[in-house]
Amino acid sequence: MPRNAAVEAHHFEALGTSCSLFGVGVSRTDLVRGEFWVRKLGGRVTRFSDRSELAALNRADGEWADVSPDMEALLREALRAYELSGGLVNAAVLPSMLAIGYTRPLAEGTPIASVAVVHPAPRLVDVLAVRRGRARLERGCGLDLGGVAKGWMADRLAAQLGSNSLANLGGDLYAAGQGPGGGGWPVGFGGKTVMLRDQGAATSSVRKRRWGALHHLIDPRTGLPSNSGLEEVSVVAATACDAEIVAKTALLLGPGVATAFCAAHAQAWRFGR
Amino acid sequence: MRSVILKAGATVLTLGTTLASALYVTAHLKNPSAPLQPAVLVSQPGDTVGGVTITPGVRQSDVQPVTSTYAS
Repeated sequence: MPRNAAVEAHHFEALGTSCSLFGVGVSRTDLVRGEFWVRKLGGRVTRFSDRSELAALNRADGEWADVSPDMEALLREALRAYELSGGLVNAAVLPSMLAIGYTRPLAEGTPIASVAVVHPAPRLVDVLAVRRGRARLERGCGLDLGGVAKGWMADRLAAQLGSNSLANLGGDLYAAGQGPGGGGWPVGFGGKTVMLRDQGAATSSVRKRRWGALHHLIDPRTGLPSNSGLEEVSVVAATACDAEIVAKTALLLGPGVATAFCAAHAQAWRFGR
Repeated sequence: MRSVILKAGATVLTLGTTLASALYVTAHLKNPSAPLQPAVLVSQPGDTVGGVTITPGVRQSDVQPVTSTYAS
């Protein structure tokens, strides 16, 4: 068991947020390659670039579109998130996001607060079909893979970096292996330190990415920004993606049901109101 | 004559089996205190301290964290 083994760290900005990679027995070159992987895949799954794979699927106008294996896996993960969350984590909320003015990355300027006509999001399982190497989105629908993409990428990146590594992509993180001291990776969680070992963590919040009275976290049941009574939920779960799904679901459920949901699906949680 | 003997033998065998089964069941009553499913030994809902709920599957520490989860 290693005792305070040397940790290699690498920090960078990508996916519109701050990212950090850590590894024991991992070279800096490996971490930089991890950054390249994040940038490359991030460029393919963003809705903000017309050249991305996701944008191509969004504008396929109901036709089948070719998708890469990574995109296919991510779309399947979005469908799994929909099922696990009872429909609350719904990637088909893009029309609502556009309707409230979230049409470009916040780094390019604050959206103009507006609420055009909004509708509840369609059921993702009704509008998205995924086959091997292909996907089809119903005409008039749009996908935003958002936090699910970050969690999914953190899980895969940590696996790529090695058996003792941690990938943190904008607060969605996965800690693989026994960490530098042998007892797991020390991770800040709601003001405390938890030792994560082959576990993920994520935070879903309406305190960031907000403009005026609006924010980016859409409740698919209304098509409007969430007003559940919870402003922030942090979760530890088996993977970063699971943590992201559980955190967002709990936030949308509100304080009445969130505790029971987290007790069933999370290993640790914290609510902010 | 032979068929009568066979029928009588089959009847005796059937009645004998039934009687033996009844005796066996009577002598081997189901334990009324036997659990229908494994019992829950201890309920472990987790500790809630400072608004953070941590189940036994997560270990706390006072080590300086290398990173944290946060809103982005």
